[in-house]
Amino acid sequence: MNNLTDFVLYDSLNNKISNGEFTGSIISKYEDKIIFSDNITISNSDEISIYQGLIVGFEEQDEELTAFSRKSDFLWKNLEEVPLDYSVLISENTVDQFNREQFTDDFPFTINLLHTAGLYLNYAEFKVNHLDFFKDEILKNPVSLINNGIIMADRVVINELGDPVFYDCIIVGRDDKNLIKVSYETFVNVDDTNVLYIIILGIEELKV
Amino acid sequence: MLLFENKEQKLINTLKFVGSPFKKFVSTGEIKEDVGLVQSRQEFLQNIINVIERNENFILPIIGSVGQGKTHLYWALKNELYNYNIVYISLETVYKKFYYNTYAEFIENLGEKPEERVEPLRNMTKRLCNEWDAGERKFGFFQIADIEDVKKKALKIWSKKFEDKDSLMDVITAIIAHQCDPYKKLEAERWLIGELMDIRDLSRLNLKYDLRKTNIAFTMLKVLIENLKKESVLFIDDFERIITMKTPIYETTEETEEIEEVFDPSWFGTKQTPENYTSEKVLDKILDLQKIRGLRIIITLKSIDYLEEIKRKIEKKNRKLLLMMKKPIIMSDFVEQDVFQFYKNNLDFFFASINYNDYFKHFSTSFFPLNKAVLKYTFKKAKGNPREVIKYLIKIFNEIVTSNEELEKILENYHQG
Repeated sequence: MNNLTDFVLYDSLNNKISNGEFTGSIISKYEDKIIFSDNITISNSDEISIYQGLIVGFEEQDEELTAFSRKSDFLWKNLEEVPLDYSVLISENTVDQFNREQFTDDFPFTINLLHTAGLYLNYAEFKVNHLDFFKDEILKNPVSLINNGIIMADRVVINELGDPVFYDCIIVGRDDKNLIKVSYETFVNVDDTNVLYIIILGIEELKV
Repeated sequence: MLLFENKEQKLINTLKFVGSPFKKFVSTGEIKEDVGLVQSRQEFLQNIINVIERNENFILPIIGSVGQGKTHLYWALKNELYNYNIVYISLETVYKKFYYNTYAEFIENLGEKPEERVEPLRNMTKRLCNEWDAGERKFGFFQIADIEDVKKKALKIWSKKFEDKDSLMDVITAIIAHQCDPYKKLEAERWLIGELMDIRDLSRLNLKYDLRKTNIAFTMLKVLIENLKKESVLFIDDFERIITMKTPIYETTEETEEIEEVFDPSWFGTKQTPENYTSEKVLDKILDLQKIRGLRIIITLKSIDYLEEIKRKIEKKNRKLLLMMKKPIIMSDFVEQDVFQFYKNNLDFFFASINYNDYFKHFSTSFFPLNKAVLKYTFKKAKGNPREVIKYLIKIFNEIVTSNEELEKILENYHQG
């Protein structure tokens, strides 16, 4: 299929499901986690599978929530089992633009983390906040879950107020009518009170 | 409003103020020339274009005596074949560090401004890295290239095409660093455009040499020519220098006596002079360029004798290479009609460049300030040689511009000779 426009493959809230094998750049929201993958298959019997996707989120370890990202296969036999909120195939144009803007020389002093780590978490009694520590620094490969959506960006800068500013981002989220929208933004200012978490992806985990 | 105006006198006054339209009688590869070719040369040019468009690798000799317009031909080709990357080199300037200097000429030719030169190079490295799967998106999004994997893939694809594996590895390393490593991108780009680099910059790129190293320069030249979007033509002017560079001066004892030299190579049992050795090396390097797929080479020579001598040299080295040599195209002198057209082309270009539009209104069909008889006289005196024609025109116009005599009187001197 032609990937020139963004395409909602699955939307649990609006009972939308597209059957078929899809390849490209796919973002899925899975409970409070995010799955990045280059494939998803939705069979006619509504079985959904993702092969070798990258799941990103926080998980409980020793009574603490720790950020993680790992490669994994997913298979849900029927819609009752499917914990996905939505899956969206991002258009080639958007992904091309995202990639094109990545390797610019404008930000030569970017911090790359080798391993995935949590920068910010605002979840019930669990709190993580390293924003002040990284104030005025540029961090590469941030992923964020905000109130109504997901931001994946090339880099995040913590400004002088301690708020994150995402650069070169793809944003997926629900609008006020709960319809799923995708947009590309050169930069986005976010008030940290709207943020559920920010995770910095580690290069080593991406290379696996 | 002027009821009457002496337009001819006005034009003469303009010339006296601005100067002669004919100034330069020697064409060079550095200074751009925009004046078009005369009719008889159009056909000649078309013959060359046909050879370029119908063949991939060749050496095409163009034979023309001194001043016949061989260098001007380069500019005519460049203006006509804008889809080709046509590069001018003179053996006089590039015989030392031949590949490095030739590569530098190619880079300079990619665009007029430095940023325009870099753009095709960036596109090329991007395209190559995509071919080597460096642009693969992990999990559908992340372009995290495993540099070692990309290098291995590139080496596998290219290793059969390149003889010197060490140089190939260095070139691949630089190309991949340019595209996949944002922290080395700037240094890699400097290396790729042929900048001289110190050991610190080189070690950051994990490289030992910059492009001054012969094998690396040759490998990079091959990569550039074979992977640029435009096809390449190398225009080597005055190719007979490859022979004149190597006049044997130690052949006979008489000559040895005439020349006071501290060092005589015959002491070491060799008749090779340093000049001899240099020209042999340069010829070898030029012949090696035939290994670059798609490189068309045009050489200009003063006479057919030079061509025969060069052919003999090539035959001694490798007979097969003679097959690459195309039948020479001989440049003829101007015919009388060409002088008229050449004169008009130059005046049109000159007055357009100084925005003197009255010339096109009032003199578009005349030869003023000269006349047909003067141009015929010029043709006869110059024996149809374009450079001699220009020299005569410079002389006449200098007289018009500087003399206080009337135009008719000046021109009288150029009627009868």
